[in-house]
Amino acid sequence: MTITKDHIGGLLFLGLSVVYGYYAYDIRMFPGDQFEAFNAQTVPVALAWIGSVIAILMLATASKNHTDKLSFVGLDLALVAKLMVLVWVFAQALQWFGFLLSTIGFLMVGYWLLGERKVKTLLVASVPFALVFWFLLAQVLEIYLAPGRMWQWLLGV
Amino acid sequence: MWDGIFTGLETAIAPFNIMMVVVGCFAGTFIGMLPGLGPISAVALMIPITYGLDPSSGIILMAGVYYGAVFGGSTSSILINAPGCASTVVTAFDGYPLAQQGQAGKALALAAYCSFTGGTVGALILLVAAPALASVSLSFQSSDYFALMVLGLTAVAAFSGKGQVLKALAMTVFGLMIATVGTDAISGIPRFTFGNMDLIDGISFLLLAMATFALAEVVMSVLKGEHRHEEAPMDMASLGSMKLTKEEVKHVAPTAARSSLFGFLVGVLPGAGGTIAAFLAYGIERNFAPRAIKEKFGKGALRGLAAPEAANNAASTGSFVPLLTLGIPGSGTTAIMLGALIAYGIQPGPRLFVDNPDVFWSVIISMYFGNIVLLILNLPLIPYISRLLVIPKPILIPLILFFSITGVYLVSFNSFDIELMAIITIIALFLRLLNFPMAPMLLGFILGGMFENNLSRALIISDGSLAFIWERPLTLFIMCLAATVLIMPVVGRLLGMRRLEGKADMLVADKGEG
Repeated sequence: MTITKDHIGGLLFLGLSVVYGYYAYDIRMFPGDQFEAFNAQTVPVALAWIGSVIAILMLATASKNHTDKLSFVGLDLALVAKLMVLVWVFAQALQWFGFLLSTIGFLMVGYWLLGERKVKTLLVASVPFALVFWFLLAQVLEIYLAPGRMWQWLLGV
Repeated sequence: MWDGIFTGLETAIAPFNIMMVVVGCFAGTFIGMLPGLGPISAVALMIPITYGLDPSSGIILMAGVYYGAVFGGSTSSILINAPGCASTVVTAFDGYPLAQQGQAGKALALAAYCSFTGGTVGALILLVAAPALASVSLSFQSSDYFALMVLGLTAVAAFSGKGQVLKALAMTVFGLMIATVGTDAISGIPRFTFGNMDLIDGISFLLLAMATFALAEVVMSVLKGEHRHEEAPMDMASLGSMKLTKEEVKHVAPTAARSSLFGFLVGVLPGAGGTIAAFLAYGIERNFAPRAIKEKFGKGALRGLAAPEAANNAASTGSFVPLLTLGIPGSGTTAIMLGALIAYGIQPGPRLFVDNPDVFWSVIISMYFGNIVLLILNLPLIPYISRLLVIPKPILIPLILFFSITGVYLVSFNSFDIELMAIITIIALFLRLLNFPMAPMLLGFILGGMFENNLSRALIISDGSLAFIWERPLTLFIMCLAATVLIMPVVGRLLGMRRLEGKADMLVADKGEG
C-alpha cells in the first residue's frame, strides 16, 4: 500500500483530534455547568468530533497515487533546523545579552548559515543595522529594552 | 451616508494618512516583488508597526500594503516570470512574453492601468454596496451571526478547490482548536494551557500570522534551496516605452471593464479571492475571444494581461465587503486585517459603519487613493524599486526572519513567544509539505472567539436546543447557503471547470490565498 501525503495528513489530523478530544473532556468546569446549555467543554468537544470525522473522510478519500508520496529529496532540512535553532538561541540570548548584542549575533550567524562568508559583509550588514534599529527603538520611540541578565550581573545595572 | 463619507474623506486626506498610503504602497510593492512573499506576509509584517498608530491610519497602511503587494507581484511576474503571489501567476502568462519581446514597459503600464481600473470599479461598487449591506445586516441576531461564521468558514474551504476541500476544512477546524487555547472568555476557565502561564492569554494572533505566513514562507524558500538561486538579471534599459496607443486602449478597455466587474463579484465571495478571480477572468476572456486573438493568448496578448490584472485588483477590493459589513474576512489578507482591527478594540461588522464611520469610510476612500498612488508614483519608479531586489538572498532572508521575530517580541516582550513561533513555523512547514492550505487555519483562529460567543448566545436563548438553526428563516437560509457552497466544488467540476481549478489549487496550496 502506498502511503501518500493525504494518508499522513489524515492520520495526523485524526491523532490531533483524538488527543484534543481527550483533553477537551478534561476541561474543568464550575459545579453545575455540565447541566447548562453551553459550557467551556461544548465547543472543544464538538471540534474534536468534527475533526475526527473530517480526518476519517480524508483517509477514506486519500489519493493512492505514487506521485503524491511525501518526499524530502532536495530539501535542505539541515539548514532549516539550524535556522530554527538560531531563532531559539536568539530568544534565550535576548534575556541574557540584551537586544543589541543578540541582534548582531543573530544576523551575523544567519548570514553565515545562508552562505555569506565575507567577514566584512557579515559585519557591515549586521552591526550598523542593529545599532540603527536599537537607536530607533530605544532612543527615538523610547521603547524599554531590557539590558539582559549578563549586564545586570556584571555591572549591577 | 454623506456625513460618513465626509468624515472618511477628512480622515483619509489627513497628511499623515496620505503618507501612510504612500508608504504602504511602496513597502507593499517591494515585499510583493520578492518571489514567495505575497500580500498576506506583507500585511503580517506591517502589523507590529500599525500597533503604534490610531486604527484608521493602521488599517489604511495595511490596505496600502495589500495593493502594493499585489502590484509588486505583477511586476516581478512580468519582468522576471517570478510571481510574488498566487494571484499574479496568470499575469505572467502574457506579461512575461511581452517583456521578452522588448515591451516590458508597455506590459507594466497596461498592468498598472488595468489594476487601476479594477481598483476604481471595485472601490465605486464598495462605496454603494457596503453601506447597503451593512444596514441590512444591522437586523442580524446571534443565530444569524453564528450561521454567517459557518458560511465564512465553509466557503473558504469550498473555494480551496479540487482535492483541497477536506484539507481546508481540517485546517479551519485546526484554527478553531487553536482559538480555544487559553482562558475561556465566557466562563473564565483555562483550557489547554497545561499549567503554562504563558498560554493563559491564549496564542497571539500576530504570532500565529507571522509564524504561519511571513516566517514559514521564508523558511520554505530556504528548505527548497531557493536562496541559492540568483534572480534573472533585469535589464532596465530595455523596458521599452510605457505608452499605449489609442487602438490598444480600445482593444483592452472592454476586457478591463468586464474583468473588473467579474473580479469584484468573485472577491466578495468569502474565500474566493484574487487567485480564482484572475484565473477565471483569464479563462473567460480567452474562451470568448475571436480565434485570431485567442491564438495570441500565452504569447503576449494584451487582453490576456488586462483580464487577470483588472480582476485580481477588483477582487482585492471586493474581499473588503464581507470584512467591513459582516465582520467575515473574504481572504487570508483580510483575515489578518480583521485580527488587527480586533486588536484595536474595533469589531468589524454591521455596527462598524455606525460606531466607527471614520474607520469604515476612510478605508474605502483610501483604497482609491492607494490605486492613484500606485499609478502615479509607483509605476514610474518601478525601475528603481526593482533595484532593491539585487540585495542578495543570504542577507535578505535573515533580515526578514529578524523583522518577523522582533515584530512579535516587541509587542509582548516575552521570549517564550519567539520559541513558540519556531515551533509553529516547523508545524506550518510540515503541513505545507503535505499540501495543507494555511489561510483557512488563520481564518478559523480569528473567527474562533466570535464563533463560540454567538453559538453560546444562540444556544442559551433557545434553551440548549439546536432549533435556532431552522426556526429563524434568515439563519436557515444562511446555513443552506453554507451547505450549497460546500457542494459547489463538485458541481463546478461537473461543469467542466476542472482544468482551471486544478491550476489554481496547486498555486493556492503552494503559496496561499491572497
